[in-house]
Amino acid sequence: MFHISSQKKYWTFDNEESLEQLRYEANQKYRNKMLASGKPGVSDAVLLEAHEENVLFRHYEKRLLDFCNAFKPVMPKSVVGTAIMYFRRFYLNNSLMEYHPRTIMLICAYLSCKVDEFNVSSTQFVGNLVQESAAGQERALEQILEYELLLIQQLNFHLVVHTPYRPMEGLLIDIKTRYPLLENPESLRKSVDDFLTRVTLTDSGLLFPPSQIAMTAILNSASRAGLSMESYLTECMGLKEDKETLLKMYDAMRRIKSLMKKYELPKPDEVNAYKVKLERVHADFVTNSNTKRKRGYEDDDHVAKEPRMTEEEEWTDEDLDDL
Amino acid sequence: MDDQGCPRCKTTKYRNPSLKLMVNVCGHTLCESCVDMLFVRGSGNCVQCDTPLRKSNFRVQLFEDPAVDKEVEIRKKVLKIYNKRDFDFSNLREYNDYLERVEEIVYNLTNNLEVEGTKQIMEAYQRENRDIIQKNKAKLTREQEELEELLLLEQQGNEQRRLETLQEEQRQLQAKRKSKQALLDELERSHVPATILLAQHKDRAAQLETQIEKQKQVVKTTIFSTGIPMGQTVSLLTVTRLEEVLYHYQPIHIHTYGPPVPELEQLGRLGYLNHVRTAQPQDMAGGYNSGLACHRAIQDAFSGLFHPLG
Repeated sequence: MFHISSQKKYWTFDNEESLEQLRYEANQKYRNKMLASGKPGVSDAVLLEAHEENVLFRHYEKRLLDFCNAFKPVMPKSVVGTAIMYFRRFYLNNSLMEYHPRTIMLICAYLSCKVDEFNVSSTQFVGNLVQESAAGQERALEQILEYELLLIQQLNFHLVVHTPYRPMEGLLIDIKTRYPLLENPESLRKSVDDFLTRVTLTDSGLLFPPSQIAMTAILNSASRAGLSMESYLTECMGLKEDKETLLKMYDAMRRIKSLMKKYELPKPDEVNAYKVKLERVHADFVTNSNTKRKRGYEDDDHVAKEPRMTEEEEWTDEDLDDL
Repeated sequence: MDDQGCPRCKTTKYRNPSLKLMVNVCGHTLCESCVDMLFVRGSGNCVQCDTPLRKSNFRVQLFEDPAVDKEVEIRKKVLKIYNKRDFDFSNLREYNDYLERVEEIVYNLTNNLEVEGTKQIMEAYQRENRDIIQKNKAKLTREQEELEELLLLEQQGNEQRRLETLQEEQRQLQAKRKSKQALLDELERSHVPATILLAQHKDRAAQLETQIEKQKQVVKTTIFSTGIPMGQTVSLLTVTRLEEVLYHYQPIHIHTYGPPVPELEQLGRLGYLNHVRTAQPQDMAGGYNSGLACHRAIQDAFSGLFHPLG
């Protein structure tokens, strides 16, 4: 349940500023590391700023959403929600320059399938990268397996994510049982789903409990459809006396809505400009320090420690286009 | 037992489970008849690895895996040379290092790695520690003798007990026979009616039985199984009386930060179940009912709804 979950304890923050702060710090940490390492060609202009990273992040997040939607077999919504949440949490504490989002987004999807018990074999998973040849899919799979442990580590091993979909179902059931004023709650379902999909692309998952997000979704759709649901909160939730909690609820809902309004799809020209920078950073500076991959337990004499200076991008962005 | 056939005659092992497998120093198996066959022809090479062999080198296989037998043989030989014990070393670390070296050697010889080098190491060690080896050999033999003496004593004890029980049985049988004979004699001789005689005989037989029973139980127990001799009064320290607070059950209270959730049992009454997909007979067979899914959805919906925000 959410109230005793790790999500509530560790991954629910108070306000957007703290999130911004965390991302800024992650970016700064990497920049300082690069500048201090003294590699040739490193300068402030070459590395990405926090707001540039933000644009790229939103771009890759959208790609992740598209990848999950085009996935065969059909991915349940909770799996999609979990994958996006993993992506978001990972880049809260890490910079995009250090780990390329293209790889991380596939790993997020893969891990989320495993955690949510949506059984997809690894070959089936990479089979969804339709632009690739079989060899390219193999390479993608290798990369996924290489970084999977890193992802789990950066998530601090908190793998259970509570998405707003089940609370939404629960609230609909509750409305149908206890709130006969609203005649046909099912009519709201489509717009509620829409709302929830858009909400996953914002930071709301890191700021609010999923039940509040679901509540916002339902009330919003109801008001859009012109139906009033004020008395639901006051009567059924027993908040008639408790003005303070009621105010807090409204406040939360307002904030969620404003977050949604603020979200905009990143502009293509900006994205391309920053992407070029990102590629350069990765090509030039990122040494694959994660090559100490433990391929099964070899003899301790022969731990493979060859630092592979290969490029990570054996498959490019365009391969994920029009999935 | 039959998972490996003899590599030469293949079928004979399966057909004849009593046929034994023999192992030699290269670690390969041969059944008895093949061993004989091989040395009749005068050639003495192993079938699989072509190492020259002597007939005396074949031992009856004790383990299923011939490699284990090979290792056991090698280990015996190595330990004849490397026979230091734990009190020969000053600290545990050295002893462990020594043991590890021994294992290395055994491993190398078993898997035919660096056989030459290992043999040289062994010879060097033998030369250096000749006197220590001799001393330890002497110690070993003494210990073994002591063990054997103990074993002998035990065996003798067993033998004696067996003999005694045998004799007891004999005596009882004889006693019974005697009483029967006596009964027959009396039936012949006396003038007392037969029924009374029979009754008397039965009485006597019963008495004999009880006597035998008592004798069997006369095994005097002088000590308890823990070693405390019987009849000794053991003084116990007074047990201090522990007073503790009686445990009182308090139901746990979990803060859900949300409105109260109706109980699972009441969901049907309150009408929630009308809005959930009804469980199919297949689902119900496994123990599922629609209330479970409904309850979970409601719990998730209410959990954290009033979560305090910053």
